[in-house]
Amino acid sequence: MPTLSEVQIAFRDALLGDDSTMVAREIARDGLAPEARLDIYRHHVLTTLTAVLEAAYPVVCRLVDRRFFAYAADRYARDEPPASPCLFEYGERFPDFLASFPACRDLVYLPDVARLEWAMHAALHAADPHAMDPAPLAAVATDDMARLVFSFDPSVTLLDSPWPVERIWRANQDDAAGAPKNSSAAVVDLAAGGAHLEIRRIDDTVTMRALAPADHALRRALWKGATIGDAVATALAVDPAFDLASALTDLLQERILIGFSVSN
Amino acid sequence: MTTRGGGPRPPSNAAIGLGPVTTSTSTSGLGTPCGIGLRAPHVAELLVSRPAIPWVEVHAENYMGGGPAVAQLDAVRREYPISLHGVGLSLGTDTDLDARHLGRLRALVERFDPCLVSEHLSWSVAGGAYLNHLLPLPYTEETLDVVARHVARAQEALGRRLLVENPSSYLRFRHSPIPEAEFLGELSRRTGCGLLCDVNNVFVTAHNLGLDAVRYLDTLPRAAIGEIHLAGHARNDADGQVVLIDDHGSPVAVPVWALYEHALARFGVVPTLIEWDTDLPTLDVLIGEAAKATRVAAADAAHIALPHVARDHAHAL
Repeated sequence: MPTLSEVQIAFRDALLGDDSTMVAREIARDGLAPEARLDIYRHHVLTTLTAVLEAAYPVVCRLVDRRFFAYAADRYARDEPPASPCLFEYGERFPDFLASFPACRDLVYLPDVARLEWAMHAALHAADPHAMDPAPLAAVATDDMARLVFSFDPSVTLLDSPWPVERIWRANQDDAAGAPKNSSAAVVDLAAGGAHLEIRRIDDTVTMRALAPADHALRRALWKGATIGDAVATALAVDPAFDLASALTDLLQERILIGFSVSN
Repeated sequence: MTTRGGGPRPPSNAAIGLGPVTTSTSTSGLGTPCGIGLRAPHVAELLVSRPAIPWVEVHAENYMGGGPAVAQLDAVRREYPISLHGVGLSLGTDTDLDARHLGRLRALVERFDPCLVSEHLSWSVAGGAYLNHLLPLPYTEETLDVVARHVARAQEALGRRLLVENPSSYLRFRHSPIPEAEFLGELSRRTGCGLLCDVNNVFVTAHNLGLDAVRYLDTLPRAAIGEIHLAGHARNDADGQVVLIDDHGSPVAVPVWALYEHALARFGVVPTLIEWDTDLPTLDVLIGEAAKATRVAAADAAHIALPHVARDHAHAL
């Protein structure tokens, strides 16, 4: 007789795969076949996860059409089921899945559109930030300044893409009546240039804005955990005329940083 | 995402009594002792119209992040007692409870000071994968040990008495020697937990597994019942057989109302809640369904007692 955990592993494999042989042996055969009974559970799990992904990725769904989206979502859910019981956290790796999914290889911009949608979704649900007191920054020794690292408001994502993902996203928003906002915007020139975006939640509203490439490079490097010395070097490599002083002033005034430390 | 602590601390149940029931006028003059499962699309309207319902219940997992939804629940809490209904603790998995998840649940308990805290007799985690469903358990001594250990751990971590809900089942295991109602009774006896009797789930499970729903209710330990759930179900055809699906997508079915009357007769008047999750109706319809439960309870009990949610919150273990 299998243990509880053996039954559960076999049950999980039956729901995420399609082979129910192992667990079906443990299920009573009265009336309806065990496989049909397992189908009820499988159907609920996979359709719920598909709906969760569809809600987080409405533009991707629109770009590939719903049937294809449901197919991709089903594959993703089976390959990478949730690791947390909070379904608002589910789907973070869907953009990477799309990037490696052979069936959408030709849609080169799709993973980055998905990354933008995830950034907006994650911003909506991110923990509320606590403001940083900038006063102790003044006490940091001059020699240590270059080694400062910052932590960011958890709703922030700094997204870089070679594709015009912001234009693609905007062209796929409905107006209140459900019609495309602007039919001329529905055609986006893929050669229109890349995007350097900052996504965050301010109060209760998710915002997206484009930054100048060097400003974006500075923030993205800091957001990834680089020291300010390294981040400035990154920004200067993008634009030798980069104005560091005003960029730092903006960072502090926008209350996007919530903590700092001096890296060793 | 991380747990959030702090935040504005709502007043205790004792301080606000039973919310608008005591302060608003309602057509019955008694308010509606049956609460509603509160879902996101209804929150804004609820905060504006402030209907006379005694309490609301939310799914804990929907409020474990930050942002506007959680802030709105603070506003709801200022008007109504809130019951936290967990769907993700996986009491039936044979590994330790997810400490992070338990921590997040504890943070919600501290923030919202819920009148009731409940979870399910089910499992959802296996080998690190979270399957978003309330999956069935074989009812054995091994399972009883596992679930009792987890319930005790959760009650200790939360500082609250947990109510454990009977699931809807679509299958039973060949080796499952303990009847579900007896299993729940023994779980309550071992851990001091209360039981959430979902009458619709009893009906659905009894139909799908060929059990006697009335005998099931009669087997549950009367004193342990701390809450009753009611909801609608769907009838599906599976290979020529009718299978009842617990989809919470319609009004409570006629035979479930009859079973509810039996439950009231046996358990007395306990806090009752209407759940509706798919094909969500307007808030009015949902409240109408709760009012119907109140009328049934009134006719049955000849007196209406407001749910003892404030008192239960003394959480003696």
